[in-house]
Amino acid sequence: MTHLSEKRLDDSRVLLDILDHLPTSIFVKDENLRFVYSNSKHCEIIDRSEAELLGRADSEFWPDEQARGFLDEDRGVIADGTISIKEEAATRHDGQTYRHLTRKARLKASNGKTYLIGTNSDVSEIRRRELQYKALSDTVPVAVAQIGEDGTVSFANPLFIAYSGDDAAAQKAMISVLCDQNADFPGKACKFEADIGALGGARRNVIAISSGWLGLEAGARAAIVSIVDISEMMELRRINDDVSRVNVELAGNIKRLAEAQDELVRKGRMEQLGQLTATVAHEIRNPLGSVQTSAFLLDRKLRGKGLDVENQLDRIRKGIARCDNIITQLLDFSRTRQLNCQAGDLDTWLEQVLEDEARKLPAAISISCDLGLKGIPVPFDPARLQRAIVNLLSNASEALVGQGDEPGTASVSDPCIALATRLDGAGVAIVVVDNGPGIPADILARIREPLFTTKSFGTGLGIPAVEQIARQHGGDLHIESEPGAGAAFTIWLPLPEAQHLPDQHVA
Amino acid sequence: MSRSLNILIVDDDPGNADSLAELFESENHRVIVAYDGQQAIEAFSLNKVDVGFFDVMMPKKNGVDSFMEIKERFPEARIYFMTGYSADDLLERAVKGGALGVFSKPVDLHRLLETVEKEAA
Repeated sequence: MTHLSEKRLDDSRVLLDILDHLPTSIFVKDENLRFVYSNSKHCEIIDRSEAELLGRADSEFWPDEQARGFLDEDRGVIADGTISIKEEAATRHDGQTYRHLTRKARLKASNGKTYLIGTNSDVSEIRRRELQYKALSDTVPVAVAQIGEDGTVSFANPLFIAYSGDDAAAQKAMISVLCDQNADFPGKACKFEADIGALGGARRNVIAISSGWLGLEAGARAAIVSIVDISEMMELRRINDDVSRVNVELAGNIKRLAEAQDELVRKGRMEQLGQLTATVAHEIRNPLGSVQTSAFLLDRKLRGKGLDVENQLDRIRKGIARCDNIITQLLDFSRTRQLNCQAGDLDTWLEQVLEDEARKLPAAISISCDLGLKGIPVPFDPARLQRAIVNLLSNASEALVGQGDEPGTASVSDPCIALATRLDGAGVAIVVVDNGPGIPADILARIREPLFTTKSFGTGLGIPAVEQIARQHGGDLHIESEPGAGAAFTIWLPLPEAQHLPDQHVA
Repeated sequence: MSRSLNILIVDDDPGNADSLAELFESENHRVIVAYDGQQAIEAFSLNKVDVGFFDVMMPKKNGVDSFMEIKERFPEARIYFMTGYSADDLLERAVKGGALGVFSKPVDLHRLLETVEKEAA
């Protein structure tokens, strides 16, 4: 049988070595509270060797007030045998202050003497961290609280208290408001937008975040909840939305204003152009008239006299016709006066126009007609629309067989023009199609530009005038063409609202 | 054979007025020429006019104003208009006031002669 003393280390020198290597400060004082032992860690804390410490009292190492405090505590322990656990601040000779958790106890030793034994644990780091956490908790713009499983708040930073109020019931109520807004809250980790305005005071839009249940304390779970106030952000967002909306409205208004201004300028220009054209028309048509009448008289006087002037007279007549045509196109394009619209049978009217105009077109062109408005009354200005139709017909004719003095150079073997009408969406379409060479893309892109022409004798006002007339009717001109596949010019005119046909749209 | 008419031509453009006069004279009509609206009224007062061809835009008095005055004094007056461009408002007044027709300048001479022939019939 082995005696306990054989197993146990009882070499006092080795035990002292062990004490010196412990990371805990250990000291022993006698009944008079003078040091009789100090391990290395304790020496290190006071920054004195053991030799310097032994036989001396605290008053020789610490500032007076601190030393008195230690002494009072020590006396209590020696007198009553109570165990003292106390956090103490001790300022060393080099001015550094350490915070220690000091435990002290009375020992009645086997040698019959009474000692005070003590340990110091350095808590400076813990206290420093605590201060940091407190500063953080006090100043962070986030409300933070610890919530128990029963919903009670066991810790709340000042901002949380500012939101919820100081009393436990109000804090619990705020947590319950958040619980109502998210099923995971607070037990599962979650993050969501919430409204805690229901608790009175300012309405707050917040983002609530929960850590979910954590085993923070033995036997009890708790969650750390953070609440970030995004009311200002939401307000800014609302303001931003308002500003964006107002900006969009403003941009729209500016655009409309610019368009209105452009339209005014355009109208002003068109009016000027209209006046100019009217004056020019008047001034040129008068002498043109006298040239025409004179040529007519010459023709009569010289006819049958063998003077061979027929070619010259014919050139004069054609020159007059061409000048007159130019003036007509200028007038067509520049007329800005109010339309004189009457609701009428467009098909019947078109038939008549086509009959009159077809006679003037080269005989080589065959003309077909497919009118499909079934007598529906269409409001239009006959004088103006006739100009548009005439323009489209002569345009098509020129595409087919050339123009000017040399008609007859047909671009296709069976030139034909087809005029059709049909109901189209909220209006009617008048379509003039030719089977000519078609319009190349670069020309198609510019064909509506006033004064743009590809013809030797063109004014470049024919198509713009047609578009102008269509638009004056509230309609539009659509042009479709592919090289080699002819061209289709569609005048679209709106019908009064009552006559709108559902489910039909402009192609 | 149609009868010979007294035709009044009113136009501030002498070339126009005179060439038309020559045309009608070649058709054996008598022609009186006036170069503005005022002269037209005087011509009507001084002559028996069978038919008149009036320009619209003229100095002193425009064709339509002069026509209205003439119509007031001579309700039976037979008058046509010739215009370089349609002065719509004026012409509408004239047509409502009894003008017989409107020719666009340069005038279609065949149509003009047809009209005169009908007047002479």
